[in-house]
Amino acid sequence: MKLRAHVILVGWLASLVLGLAACGGEKTTPSVCEGAAAVPVACTQICTPGYPNSCPAGFHCEEQKDGRGKCDANCSANDKRCGDDATCSAEGRCQKESIVFRILDFPGTKWIFLILALVMPLASILTWMERRQSAMMQDRLGPNRANIGPIKLKGILHFVADAVKMIFKEDFIPANVHKGLYALAPILAIAPVFIAFAIIPFGPTIYPHAVTQTLDPTLLAMQPNADMFREAIRLQMFQVDFGLIFYFAVLTLANYGGTIAGWASYNKWALLGGLRSSSQMMSYEVAMGLSLMGAFLVIGSLEPGFIVMHGASASMSASNPLNWLWLWQPLGLVLFFTAAIAETKRAPFDIPEGEPEIIGYFVEYSGLRWGLFFLAEFIEIVFVAAVVATVFLGGWQVPFLDADGFRIGGYVDEVTKVSVGGWYTPLPHGLVVALQFGAFGAKVLLLCWFQLMIRWTLPRFRADQLMNLGWKLLLPLALANVMVTALIKLFFM
Amino acid sequence: MSSSHDHADDSEHEGPLVLAVSDRHPRVRTIQVVRPEAQDTTYLAATAKGFGITLKHFAKNLFLPLKKLSGRANAGAPVEERFRNDIETVQYPEEKVTYPERFRGLHRLTLRDDGSTRCVACMCCPTVCPAHCITIIPEESGDTSIEKRPAIFEIDELRCVVCGLCVEACPCDAIRMDTGEHAKPVEDRARAIETRETMLARGVRSIATQGGEGPNWRATAPDTKTDVNR
Repeated sequence: MKLRAHVILVGWLASLVLGLAACGGEKTTPSVCEGAAAVPVACTQICTPGYPNSCPAGFHCEEQKDGRGKCDANCSANDKRCGDDATCSAEGRCQKESIVFRILDFPGTKWIFLILALVMPLASILTWMERRQSAMMQDRLGPNRANIGPIKLKGILHFVADAVKMIFKEDFIPANVHKGLYALAPILAIAPVFIAFAIIPFGPTIYPHAVTQTLDPTLLAMQPNADMFREAIRLQMFQVDFGLIFYFAVLTLANYGGTIAGWASYNKWALLGGLRSSSQMMSYEVAMGLSLMGAFLVIGSLEPGFIVMHGASASMSASNPLNWLWLWQPLGLVLFFTAAIAETKRAPFDIPEGEPEIIGYFVEYSGLRWGLFFLAEFIEIVFVAAVVATVFLGGWQVPFLDADGFRIGGYVDEVTKVSVGGWYTPLPHGLVVALQFGAFGAKVLLLCWFQLMIRWTLPRFRADQLMNLGWKLLLPLALANVMVTALIKLFFM
Repeated sequence: MSSSHDHADDSEHEGPLVLAVSDRHPRVRTIQVVRPEAQDTTYLAATAKGFGITLKHFAKNLFLPLKKLSGRANAGAPVEERFRNDIETVQYPEEKVTYPERFRGLHRLTLRDDGSTRCVACMCCPTVCPAHCITIIPEESGDTSIEKRPAIFEIDELRCVVCGLCVEACPCDAIRMDTGEHAKPVEDRARAIETRETMLARGVRSIATQGGEGPNWRATAPDTKTDVNR
């Protein structure tokens, strides 16, 4: 029996190796230089790799194993020379995507990177930051004691202590709850937020083969399939034209988490909390969607990556802060931010939860299930900050940092849509990418801080004030915003 | 009544509209409050104001050094008090508030020059104790000028109300509460009982002159204010 298992295992491994070898050895249509008859003279020419004009027209310099170059005929996009799994670059080389690139370019990889590198650390630290910041605002010290041995870090480790505490608490399920929905609700609350991050562009497009060089945006605009720009990794998981609509659609699902939690708990107060959650969601979702319509009118796209890449006006560089939407849609920014805070169900809009007194929808939850609701709330804070930063504050753009370096006072070339001229300092592509990713993180962190400031400054709205604000103020203002934006666009632009 | 009417007339010209005035206290009035409609609907002005207040506190407490509280171990750089933050919190195990000079802590029994207890088991303190927490069982001391000493001297710190009457009542300066220590938390009640030995271990030598040395003993007594053992 044991022997048979070994045989199966070895056979399986062997077939895997053989299969991979077969894939690697797959033949493509040969180049003109490899044909038996009538080899062109240029094929025998020795050249220097890296120098573009060392071969005749129609040929490029292919580096050999010994480091010397040899001219080879160019491929073209139409012929079958490169086969199915490779593409023909602008220089005429067959470029095959490496397995590392395929793994890195897989949306799941980007998602895991974003969640592990940005979202979860930020959300975890927010749980500490909220308590510490509120303490600072109220002349207290706040949690500053949690430590691992001598490592104290001003109490940041409190989130570790919280997590450990919640994991080891009893997973208590009260009698008479609807067991399935009771278990489903926390997952329904947290999963949509994770999914919605798919539309967020959290950095620029990385060109791995140009990391050490200064990027030439003009060349990129004219020859996007040049050797240097192959295997580009776009730091956005889900690039679709309906990006922001996708966000509304998915994040609204998170509200079902609260409502279902209230219903499944078999508790009147929890049910009332769930109903409050639903009613609040309805009063804000409309104004929220409409407040972004103005941005849509200005830019002409609902794709967050497009918004960040192009900015409001085509006559300015996208890295110019005046080209970001906060200046073009100030009312839209205020309305969207207000509605988005209401969506996160935090003070001053924490009517569904009302932690200290009016008992919210998760009153019957404890331990890690309760923790999931709270984690979802903190991740929603990060997400709202990411959306506001992306749409209104230029996303990953660093002020005055173009793809090739810092530039102040340049102008946009009308043909290539690339900004040129002005005071200019070149920077390598790798550094530019790092700066831009850092800028996105900094903007998100700043907006998270701002949301915490709002949460600890304003008292809670009454239910009727909330409805008044949503239906009688935000909705008409959002409609007026769309109208005025449309009229300005119609008559002046 | 006429004076209250005058008040109402005055306030029509300046200030809010008075709807009713109390007969007994003319200054107690019902006025009509007119709030601007905009404040009720936009909240923007009030929000901005509140945001400014919280931001000021946050920035001050984040960037300025800690206040100089009494007992704070390290209050940071030598900065003027108005450039310090508003946080009053004392971080307990590291920082301790110094107690006032007359803070009443755990009891101690004072010693004679030869190291024996000064207590003569006169029973003043268990008599005056309002909580009945002092138990003394006397024995012969062997010294005829002293007659008695405590064989057992126990204070139940759980019953003690820390009133200090025992110290007041003692004619011999034999019991004091100037240790500055708290009653420590214990896991069973028996451990909260202070015995003669534990209180003597905390004890200091007292050179206060005891009674019985004649009416003029104060004039010849050593200066207790410079008592180095205190």
